[in-house]
Amino acid sequence: MPDTLEREIRIAAKPETVFRYLTDSDALSEWMGDSAELEPTPGGQFLVRYESGDTALGEFSVVEPYTRVVFTWGWKDNAGIPPGSSSVEITLAEDEGDTLLNLRHSGLPHADALKEHGEGWDHFLAGLATCAAA
Amino acid sequence: MPIDDALRALADPTRREILRLVRDDERAVKDIAERFDMSRPAISQHLRVLEDASLVAARKDGTRRLYRARPETVTELIDDLGAMWDDSLARLKQLAEQEEWPSRARRTNRPSNGDDDA
Repeated sequence: MPDTLEREIRIAAKPETVFRYLTDSDALSEWMGDSAELEPTPGGQFLVRYESGDTALGEFSVVEPYTRVVFTWGWKDNAGIPPGSSSVEITLAEDEGDTLLNLRHSGLPHADALKEHGEGWDHFLAGLATCAAA
Repeated sequence: MPIDDALRALADPTRREILRLVRDDERAVKDIAERFDMSRPAISQHLRVLEDASLVAARKDGTRRLYRARPETVTELIDDLGAMWDDSLARLKQLAEQEEWPSRARRTNRPSNGDDDA
């Protein structure tokens, strides 16, 4: 069973622009969750609230302007996937004026974690998909 | 929504343990219950929740009911998670590109110094 999800996309925008969407509370909540409280510094809080009432909680471990962000990830009050139990690494690389974004969600050690994980992303991504299509 | 049932079913550590037990081997309730400090009715209740969530399938063998995991449900859930990331990243892409679009459009539409691209 895979313990890592990996995705890569090309964005026709500068890494500086994309980076802000990863580290600014208001900008992040435009594509993920309902509201966010981010302290984008190593050891700083990563908190995203969802309309469902769920809260994703973690901690930034790496914040390198315009190139890399790493934060731990889990659900508050969820024994299955508690805060800190998985890790999301997002790297940004400039390529001919665009940004190549690579996302790795790792530390999902067994199928159970992956299964429970889907619930959280489901809540916000369903909303995002609607926004994106609008 | 089926995925919610599966996730709710998996929120319980006993049910996760049961699922591991029947992942590779088909087992009867008695066999499963022996491994837990729990009554057989309690185990049966957990199995019912797993069955309702399509995480296990049961079949009759005489008087016994045999349970096994349904890996296809797990696969579906993992696929869903991947799809969810795809959707959110698509949204991020759209937002970032919209933000830069005016400056990029200006660059692209600048008079081309005599180049005839018509």
